[in-house]
Amino acid sequence: MDLVSELLKTLDLMVNDQFESVEFKNFLRVPLTMERARFYVVQNALYTSNRRDCWGYVQGSAPLAVKRVIWEHESDELVNDPRAGMDHYTLTVKQGEVIGLKPEDFEQAEVPSMVRACFYAWHHIALRSHWLAAYTASHMLERRNNGKIVKGGGMSYRMGKKFDNELGITLKRMVSLDVHVVADTEHSENISEMFERYVKTTEDRDLVLQGARDSMAIDRAYRGALGYYMEQIH
Amino acid sequence: MSATANGIESMWQELVRWCNEQFDSAPFRRLFATKFTRERAQQFSIQMAFYVQNRRDCWGYVQGSAPLDIKQLIWHHEEDELIGQKAQGKADHITLAIQEGEVFGLSAEAFEHTPRLEGGEVCFSAWIRLAQRPWLEAIAGSAILEMRNSSELIKRGSLSQRVAEMLDRDLGISMKRQINNAEHVVMDLEHAQLLMKVAQKYATTESARRAILRGARESLMIDRVYRGHLAEMMAALP
Repeated sequence: MDLVSELLKTLDLMVNDQFESVEFKNFLRVPLTMERARFYVVQNALYTSNRRDCWGYVQGSAPLAVKRVIWEHESDELVNDPRAGMDHYTLTVKQGEVIGLKPEDFEQAEVPSMVRACFYAWHHIALRSHWLAAYTASHMLERRNNGKIVKGGGMSYRMGKKFDNELGITLKRMVSLDVHVVADTEHSENISEMFERYVKTTEDRDLVLQGARDSMAIDRAYRGALGYYMEQIH
Repeated sequence: MSATANGIESMWQELVRWCNEQFDSAPFRRLFATKFTRERAQQFSIQMAFYVQNRRDCWGYVQGSAPLDIKQLIWHHEEDELIGQKAQGKADHITLAIQEGEVFGLSAEAFEHTPRLEGGEVCFSAWIRLAQRPWLEAIAGSAILEMRNSSELIKRGSLSQRVAEMLDRDLGISMKRQINNAEHVVMDLEHAQLLMKVAQKYATTESARRAILRGARESLMIDRVYRGHLAEMMAALP
């Protein structure tokens, strides 16, 4: 197996392993109530904003061809996703209406301390790492949401199922989760193509793995934090 | 006019004044006193393509740290620069720089294989460092370079305009054939307004306005050093 094929296989294993971690299991086990659902949806909007920060930083350090791919990627996220007719932040705010959230709830939301630490950690990788590690760190969060790779479905799909099973709100009504089930599959495939072009040596591969490992560790901490805060809501 | 509007207006006037003064600085004067030869034009063109690439690095970092609505503004700004306007048949600005190079007898490979000027590399690092500072300083650091290239704001013509005139005068290459310079003369009029849009929403306090001035001042300083290195490079060439 060539270097890149082997690498992609390893990345696939890593995103599947996320769902076996104690943090992910605990997070997905917390029963949803309407209050917890509201907390989650607001937090998800903040997470989306953090993604925009990180992809911007990665665009800053990446080679020109990769900058262009990221710019296209950010078109859906930041400006307009034709699947939804709006950018992804607006989409998340719109999704909130289904569970009684207003735009002010998003604007005035505070970032809880453990979540804040995770956001700063992702910023740190995006700003300070070699571009291949930084790029992979952001990419892995979309790969982890890709239902073609993650057995049992990516995070958006699983959360959509929880909203349906536990609150009776179908995935179709959770418009942001619904769009991300498809969007992140496409995004992770487009972004993944860059590995074919830029991973030529074992050093390149190690940079990719470093970025992947670091981002997945933060992702586990982030999901663990969300699970913890949701449990505090009665 | 409110105190905030007054503060923004006087900040803007200060920025415009600094951009104009840039052209009276010793490094800029040295650059404009240079006579272009074919070889000098070639090296200048290549080094300016690296400068454009560094702008793309910096705007990416600024996009990362800016608030969401400003990220969207920057994304649109980067469309012209990074992607081009496909519907209007306009290439991105790096491609334009390479295409313009053909007029000076340059191949695309020359842009790939020519090393960056050492002094230029140091300036690029300084600009990246500035782009990673708090977002108001960072955005001012990048946006001020487009103000300095706006013929609406610069009294005797922007940098692109003046370089284009020098190339016409010294080598007989008309502005029409300098497709990259011609594009920047037009586009930077619009891009120069970006900082004003930001200021109107976010420069509502004295400290925010000071941050913008700080970033702009530092960037103009780096810009003077960079232009000095370009002038020195050209002086060393036949």
